[in-house]
Amino acid sequence: MEFSLWSSPPAPPNAEEWTPPLYPEHVPTSFLQKALLTVGSAAVAITDPYRHDMIAVLGETTGYYALMRIRDQMKADPVGQQILSERPRINTRTIDLEELRALPEGTFGKEYVNWLDRNDVTPDSRAPVKFIDDEELAYVIQRYREIHDLFHTLLDMPTNMLGECTVKMFEAVHTGLPMCALGAVFGPLRLSSKQRWKLRNYYFPWAVRAGYSTKTLMNVYFEKRFHEPLEDLKADLKIPPPPHIPSSTIVNSNHSRLYRS
Amino acid sequence: MAALRRVSVHLGRVCRCSNRIIVSRRNLSEQTSSDESDKKESTERSTHFGFESINESEKTGKVHEVFSNVASKYDVMNDAMSLGVHRLWKDRFMQVLDPLPGTRLLDVAGGTGDIAFRFINWVKEKEQQQRKATPGAEFRLNPLETDEPASTPEFPSAEDYLNTEQRADTSDTDGKKDSKVIVCDINQSMLEVGKERAKKLELEDDVVWVTGNAEELPFPDNSVDAYTIAFGIRNVTHIEKALCEAYRVLTPGGRFLCLEFSQVSNPLISSVYDLYSFQVIPVLGELIASDWKSYQYLVESIRKFPNQEEFAEMIREAGFRMVSYDNLTSGVAAIHSGFKI
Repeated sequence: MEFSLWSSPPAPPNAEEWTPPLYPEHVPTSFLQKALLTVGSAAVAITDPYRHDMIAVLGETTGYYALMRIRDQMKADPVGQQILSERPRINTRTIDLEELRALPEGTFGKEYVNWLDRNDVTPDSRAPVKFIDDEELAYVIQRYREIHDLFHTLLDMPTNMLGECTVKMFEAVHTGLPMCALGAVFGPLRLSSKQRWKLRNYYFPWAVRAGYSTKTLMNVYFEKRFHEPLEDLKADLKIPPPPHIPSSTIVNSNHSRLYRS
Repeated sequence: MAALRRVSVHLGRVCRCSNRIIVSRRNLSEQTSSDESDKKESTERSTHFGFESINESEKTGKVHEVFSNVASKYDVMNDAMSLGVHRLWKDRFMQVLDPLPGTRLLDVAGGTGDIAFRFINWVKEKEQQQRKATPGAEFRLNPLETDEPASTPEFPSAEDYLNTEQRADTSDTDGKKDSKVIVCDINQSMLEVGKERAKKLELEDDVVWVTGNAEELPFPDNSVDAYTIAFGIRNVTHIEKALCEAYRVLTPGGRFLCLEFSQVSNPLISSVYDLYSFQVIPVLGELIASDWKSYQYLVESIRKFPNQEEFAEMIREAGFRMVSYDNLTSGVAAIHSGFKI
């Protein structure tokens, strides 16, 4: 197939016949459109952090090769293969939140709903995948998006900017998605110097260590493990506990320069 | 009616709206346009929605959905996509219309009010010039402005033809003031955006906002002096019906003026334009309005719209005379004009 800068797979933009998309919500895009979307979505995401859909778009336009690598990892693992064939989804229709709330304290499921309630989020807020030109990879990135909240629970990180940057750094190392790396590098620009100091000295080093040591989370069938105690699950997945910042080192932003290496 | 049409096959086509016979420059033995319209009404035909093929009955609903989605970001997107050039087009449009004070204007598919506000400003500017040109006018017992209310007794009150949902909204503009421009749009969200803008520009008393379908206007015959439609007619399912309705509501001597995207004939400019349309515009839609599909529809619907000559012929078929058009930006947009005379 000829490579053209501006023809979109699978059909050129001026086609008279309507080519069916590869999956519902699929929007075929050319290389030029993906490039424009990458630059534009990054610019919009950094200026307006509430545009979560822009971060999603950035992930889709830049993630093709990383997703292929993740898919290979999943195919090499029996549970990963099961996930790829069953294609479980996480949203309020597939997960019974009331059932999870009834679980005992300390279990993964109970901690998950507690985290959802604390941060006032719902598993339904994920945008559908549009710009991935492979149907299986579209599922992979959808799965990644939907278990992102579970990462937060496992890492015990809130949804504020500090928590999100930390999780993004973890994901950048763990999944290899370029969008996560971009988020981890540019996200902190919106933070205060005190928060950046915390990130630099405590959260980022921990996130990087955790990213390498943790077993591949894309191969974990989380829906079947909600009843397990959270600490046992974290030990099994080799997730180190979050860093504890001693109160004596918490300084105001004027002094933080002294502690920068 | 049928006899008249059969005879007219030899002479030309019968204008659908006024029953005049138009001698076409093309093959005179063509089927009459009225035969085509009979066919359309009898069976469910498919039409185009951008490049997609859908049933005619679905098109109005789909277009409505597109504009409900884009309404809040409509003006920002227009500026972004055209790099502000759409403002120049609309300014030129008003220059061509060149309305005098006292004109009753119906702006169809006028949604967010761009044309209506330009009309009000133009007419106010004209009034000021007239006042300056005739010194002492302000001391007269009957200054120029009172000539206009003479036309308002014939001007239908807004409440006569408003939809029930609209009545509460327009109770304060019930014709006592000089309502010279009516904005009619099928989509309530677009009208809401327009009303907000009118408030900001302090022009809310000068505009009446009415919900209505361009194919079936809720206005009486011969009731407006000028009918404008800017970037709206390509979204109408049956363009011929909209043109006929335009003919119906205009007074004799009234002017039909349409601003719409058209075809670029220069191949160099056309290739740059196509590239920009298909590659950049949907991307802008996704980035600014989180809506790729509506803007994909936009650029596809432009390609599906008839070219300048074909559209001019359609306007002639509706009964208008002295039909002409002017290209803007090498044909990216065109202003078509016709008179009911």
